[in-house]
Amino acid sequence: MSGEEKTESNTKSKYPWSNYTLKWGRGEPVSTTQYVLYAVQIAAVIILSYLSVTLLGPLSYSGISLFYFVYPFFLVFTLWWGIWGILGAYVGCVIGAGLMVGLGPVASAAYAISDFIPPLLVFIIYRGLLANRGIDPLWRDLTNKEVAGVKTKRVTAWILFIVINGLILNAISAELGVGIENYLGLIPSGAYWGWWAGWFFGDLLAMIIITPVLVKGLTNLVERQGLINGGWIT
Amino acid sequence: MARDDVEARTSKKYVRTFIFSMKTGTPIEKLHVLTKFFMIAAMSVLALYMFDIPVSKGGPDIIGLIFLLTIVFVLLIISGTTKYLANSYLLLALPVPISEFIWWLFFNGGLPGAREAFYLWPGFFPIGISTIVLVGVFGVVYYRTKSFVIAIIPALLLWWITVMAGVFDFSSWATWFKISVGAVDSFTLPSASVTVALSKALGFAVLIYTSFLFLLTTRDSEIAGAMRQLGLSFKKAFFIALIFRSLNTLLIDYENIRIAQTARAAGVNRKNVFSKIIDLAYVSIPLVATMIRRSTEMGVALYARGFDAAKKVTEFKETKGITYMDVTVVAILSVFLIYEVVLGHNINHMIIR
Repeated sequence: MSGEEKTESNTKSKYPWSNYTLKWGRGEPVSTTQYVLYAVQIAAVIILSYLSVTLLGPLSYSGISLFYFVYPFFLVFTLWWGIWGILGAYVGCVIGAGLMVGLGPVASAAYAISDFIPPLLVFIIYRGLLANRGIDPLWRDLTNKEVAGVKTKRVTAWILFIVINGLILNAISAELGVGIENYLGLIPSGAYWGWWAGWFFGDLLAMIIITPVLVKGLTNLVERQGLINGGWIT
Repeated sequence: MARDDVEARTSKKYVRTFIFSMKTGTPIEKLHVLTKFFMIAAMSVLALYMFDIPVSKGGPDIIGLIFLLTIVFVLLIISGTTKYLANSYLLLALPVPISEFIWWLFFNGGLPGAREAFYLWPGFFPIGISTIVLVGVFGVVYYRTKSFVIAIIPALLLWWITVMAGVFDFSSWATWFKISVGAVDSFTLPSASVTVALSKALGFAVLIYTSFLFLLTTRDSEIAGAMRQLGLSFKKAFFIALIFRSLNTLLIDYENIRIAQTARAAGVNRKNVFSKIIDLAYVSIPLVATMIRRSTEMGVALYARGFDAAKKVTEFKETKGITYMDVTVVAILSVFLIYEVVLGHNINHMIIR
């Protein structure tokens, strides 16, 4: 093997998603299109958060929805756009599921931490840990048999998706959200577990139904346009 | 602000806000957006503090909360947005304080003190204040919604809350006439339950209507202007402005897609919860695709106009200066915050000794 070939084989990874990492960025400034896109996706998450807590009933109680369908959106946006998706999740909850349904700025800013932690952890786990072990950090292996000619581990991907996102991170989110609202005196102690279960199962249901639809329909389109972040920022 | 900007602003009778339009020239419109934000933040801290004072320390500051709620409604009247509020959010938000009251009444375990009797049914149909509540709430909600079901639910709930309290059923001032129906069915709750539940309902009303006060009287461009005044770079301030400016557009996109799906018989108007979930999944793809397309077009338009190359940009027209009115509002609220939260005084105790 020549020296040139050796170098090439060292830099090529066995996975087509190896360019999606936990690096700061791609070493280039944010383009105008990305700049607008990051702002508009935050606006989209605000609107979807607002609709999540109002669509199934008039102004949901304490900003908690029994079907918080924005949850899969901001998880997918985080996997696409890194820190901007995480920012969107937090700001979306503060404004859309907090201020716009009348929770006030203090309570909204506090309980929105519950929407900040899960996407942050999802990004770190999938890009930093699972991507090197054959799991697509953009979740295409949930719906596709192969990605760019590489066979995917669909069953493993689904098990990890349910365990990590559906159970562990969802439980952390419910615990943080309902716990903070309880601490602030917005939820009585006697109703704690009722609201916890509502939060947990509401998010779980939304995630399992909507995530595959979003991933199947849009990830390849976004990737083809070169709009997926290589790292946290760009 | 330049003289022609002032003229342009004052020549308009109404200006568009986040979720409505606001009359120009009102004291609320003249407030700086940072003052308004401080106002809602201070009000929400006060409400959270007032309704959470433990019973062992004298209980929630109910009179303080009523005072806050009165201030909020006065401010809404001054801002000229009451008509819109009455037509939309006033009724929409009503279930929240009612459900707050019920949740805190029945799920607030561990309250100290003696227990008091409440009535699932007092053994008679009371004609009095409770009847006025039933007929009044039903009448108002039915007039607005024209739906019997939507009107009867809050009417019955509020009616039952009045029937449940023995103080309403068995006092001659609240119940003027009794029609015997069925047997007495009662239960007991700690006597402080009602005070705590009422304070939570009032506190939530304060939180809801102060948030609406902000959203009904603030323009997105004001926020961008305020960010510039706070020393944020143009690009950061414009980023924030873009977020707020996109809200309306995206809401319109969502509606258009939903209507288009209905027109294509996609069954987006199915009523049960699971159908709604599936509908949302259908709507989500065109919504995100539209969002990406719009961003790409806007990005190209900005680039074409030299967004990246611009060294010096024109200032926002919507920047306002801080006036004496702003300083007065911040000072009054700061004193109120220090009195109640820092020093731990209580308006309830000040009035009822």
